[in-house]
Amino acid sequence: MAFAPIAVDDVKATDFIGISEPQDIDFGDGELLECLRAGEEKCFETLVRNVGPQVLATAKRYLRSDAEAADCFQDTFLAVFQGIDRFEQRSSLRTWVRRITINQCLMRIRKQVRRKEESIEHLLPAFDEKGHRIENGGISQPSTISESLDSERLRSIVREKIGELPDDYRLVLLLRDIDGYTTSETAAILRIKSNAVKTRLHRARTALKSLLTPVLEQRECHANV
Amino acid sequence: MLTCKEFDDFMLDYLEGGLPVWQKFMCWMHVKMCRECAYFVQKYRRVITLGKDAFQSPDGMLPDYVPEELVKAALAHRRSK
Repeated sequence: MAFAPIAVDDVKATDFIGISEPQDIDFGDGELLECLRAGEEKCFETLVRNVGPQVLATAKRYLRSDAEAADCFQDTFLAVFQGIDRFEQRSSLRTWVRRITINQCLMRIRKQVRRKEESIEHLLPAFDEKGHRIENGGISQPSTISESLDSERLRSIVREKIGELPDDYRLVLLLRDIDGYTTSETAAILRIKSNAVKTRLHRARTALKSLLTPVLEQRECHANV
Repeated sequence: MLTCKEFDDFMLDYLEGGLPVWQKFMCWMHVKMCRECAYFVQKYRRVITLGKDAFQSPDGMLPDYVPEELVKAALAHRRSK
């Protein structure tokens, strides 16, 4: 599966602002926005310092290297500064910036030469000829983690395993399960059909389950000792 | 009764409440009757929770601050355009 082919220049950083979105924290009461629109340097700095951690975290989540995330950070704020006059306040400023960040990340991913990605078929459930689930289908990798896992270590492993998924699946999983976009919003962001989002999400979750099962079983084993 | 494969096809919509009542009932029945699928659903749900948790901890890649050089670079980047 691949992204629908699009010209990078067709994508504006401020696309998708019309999609309904959940209420989010907003640190501005309009004064900051006015100040930003007036082009005052101090206000831009305030914005960068306030939403910067969120922008950086989002960029690191979607991109595969810290250097790319840092470049994306700069491009995101440039797009924000250039698009601030078009911000219609249909969402909080923070939510709007997050949309721009994700869009900047996707633009970067689309620009990259697609690396040859492994199939995830072996991570999906197996069924016999009568349609019955074959127990433990798709699970074969022994865990190399020998120590008891604390919560933070487990979170780190989950992030690592999500990172192992091919982009087509990883991006849908991030948008739907982590960033909380709906199926139709995710479809609009990725420019694919809603049914494709659902299929990819189910496969991504199933593949992640297979990747995590050895880790979780070992963790439960330790807990029961 | 649904086969496991048929249930798998409906699973996402079933878990997200997107099925008509009759199909929802068929899926519910399948999970009640099929130990493998019940176990699969349990683990699948756990994975969704783990995914959400993975990025919500203080160390889940949400820095408290942005390195100063990055803030300065972003501001300089704007000035240069």
